[in-house]
Amino acid sequence: MKSLNPLAHSLNTGSPHRFSERLPVGITLTCFSQSSEQLDVALPAMEEEGLLLTFVYYKGDLQITTGDGKEQLQQVSPGIGLLSAADRSLQFNSSGPISFSAVSLFIARDWIDNFMRNNENFKKIEQVVKREENIVSCRLGRKQLTLLSSIIAYNRDNHSNLLEIQNHALGLLEYSFCCRHRSLSGVSSADAIDNEDDLSLIREVESYISEYYCSDTFTVDSILKKTYTSYHKLNFLFKSIHGMTISEYIRNKRIERSKEMIADNVKSISQIAYEIGYSSISNYILAFKKIYRITPGKYKKQIDSIA
Amino acid sequence: MSYVSLENSEPFLKCFEVIAEDKSCIVSDSVLYFSGKTGKGFITVAGIPSGIEVLAVNVSMLTDDLTFSFLPSQSSSSYILSFDEIGAPGKDNELSMSYPSLPAERFHSSVTITDADYGRLVTYPKERVIRSLIIRVQKSSLDGLIQDFDAGTIRSILQSTTSTTSLSWPITFKYRLLLNDFMSEILQHPFRELFTIRNISVLVEYLLQQSFVMDKLVKEGDYLSAQDMYNLTKVEQHLCANYKTEFPGIEKLSRISAMSPTSLKTKFKKYYGETLFSYYQKNKLEHARKLLDNKVPVKVVATEIGYSNPSHFTLAFKKEYGFSPWHYLNPH
Repeated sequence: MKSLNPLAHSLNTGSPHRFSERLPVGITLTCFSQSSEQLDVALPAMEEEGLLLTFVYYKGDLQITTGDGKEQLQQVSPGIGLLSAADRSLQFNSSGPISFSAVSLFIARDWIDNFMRNNENFKKIEQVVKREENIVSCRLGRKQLTLLSSIIAYNRDNHSNLLEIQNHALGLLEYSFCCRHRSLSGVSSADAIDNEDDLSLIREVESYISEYYCSDTFTVDSILKKTYTSYHKLNFLFKSIHGMTISEYIRNKRIERSKEMIADNVKSISQIAYEIGYSSISNYILAFKKIYRITPGKYKKQIDSIA
Repeated sequence: MSYVSLENSEPFLKCFEVIAEDKSCIVSDSVLYFSGKTGKGFITVAGIPSGIEVLAVNVSMLTDDLTFSFLPSQSSSSYILSFDEIGAPGKDNELSMSYPSLPAERFHSSVTITDADYGRLVTYPKERVIRSLIIRVQKSSLDGLIQDFDAGTIRSILQSTTSTTSLSWPITFKYRLLLNDFMSEILQHPFRELFTIRNISVLVEYLLQQSFVMDKLVKEGDYLSAQDMYNLTKVEQHLCANYKTEFPGIEKLSRISAMSPTSLKTKFKKYYGETLFSYYQKNKLEHARKLLDNKVPVKVVATEIGYSNPSHFTLAFKKEYGFSPWHYLNPH
């Protein structure tokens, strides 16, 4: 089994390392890695039409510039994926010492037409790339970094085969499209969180909460047990995305639900309190008051008087 | 018996029209759901316009056998690859020992490569859990996929299929895991085409790896009898299903396979390229790796796959992959 961290090895050697392969499935893969005091690398614009996906892994200060020089991206995450149209060039600069490696996948126009012609989700992504005239970036999670490093470690003489590289590359491709798709379809991705793993954790917790928040056995502890995270981590993530702690989030959800139930005017306040998972009515009334500054009874009267 | 019959050059999508005729089912977005008297499940198709067509079948508890028949025709030059996993319903560790009278080869899980010129008949038995991928790939496309592999052997095998019309290999845990993942994700996946082509590419890689083992078997001239193969697949199925408990032990396995321990050992090694225990261990650790990917902590993974002590698990993991579970989670 190969070492899991070939990046370190290839980066320490210092000499630039580059290869280019055409994968059997029809994508062209170019790999580049270098470790030096300064960096000035340009990916030239392609003559063919298509999409270019570049995955970068680096340690140091990196500036990414598009061909016309107006767009500048500064990244904090050590691994990023960039999606751009192939007829625009990309420039990577660094004034300080840096270790840098990049894998770029060129996908030709007709390949896209062949595979994705009927995919609505893909059309949306393509529109974004065309419209925004810049690069669409996503941060790489742990799994993607592993894939990336095994591509960089690829060596033709070294028992690894092209099909394996192709599988890694397709995995990266699928990931970055999915990531883009999620952010297009409106799942929040706050700037404070630079990690795909954390985002998926939050999504999982949110869906868990929305399923179980009415149950009386539901506690924050049960979420922690289910997702194997610590309370502090979860709270931190929730604060940076929703601006409130996890218990506040759950309370808001419950009270909103109770508000709807009051408006339905079918059940009594105490019934509602038990149904949304409060064990005592006074707790419920207090929580309601905290959010709406009014007790549920008065709220009910207000609604009745309007109706 | 439900019967779907297709000319070889016809698109897979047409399957739906045939099945949909007399069954209670819904077709939506190139997925066919059916329920009630024909069992539960879905069949989906991803037509990829570069010469690869995929028919994914994921059904359980059919009340009737379901047959796909691809009629021979000379017009299209392609291969049909099929990856079938047929398991017993209910408890995982229950063995499918009941259909002794039926011809065994139709009813056990296998990987099959067929030259489409000669047609292909696939029968899915009733009252089973079935996950299956049927892929029709043009000869030129497959050549493109494998050209850079050490391709001499595989091509000679594929060419030799013209004489035997079909080549059947046992299914291994790698295929099982992949089929499982594929079926659970394909319906929701936003980029179904990309997802499919990636999985096919992985399957072909597995297929090529397996081909080396099988090629050796053929070269050595040791053909196993059909009965032996059937018994070995039963053992394999038992090993795969019981990854959570401890290794069943050679006596039990030899009883299942109706072979002596020694001949079981040698035949299994020949057929699967692994010893009994290392096969069992690899399957177990692959499951562990999947759990780790889902952010289950190492301690829980260890108990989940049947280790009483997490450090035993760590040792076994390290022995297999060369790095510890912790290292796997924090590579950089």
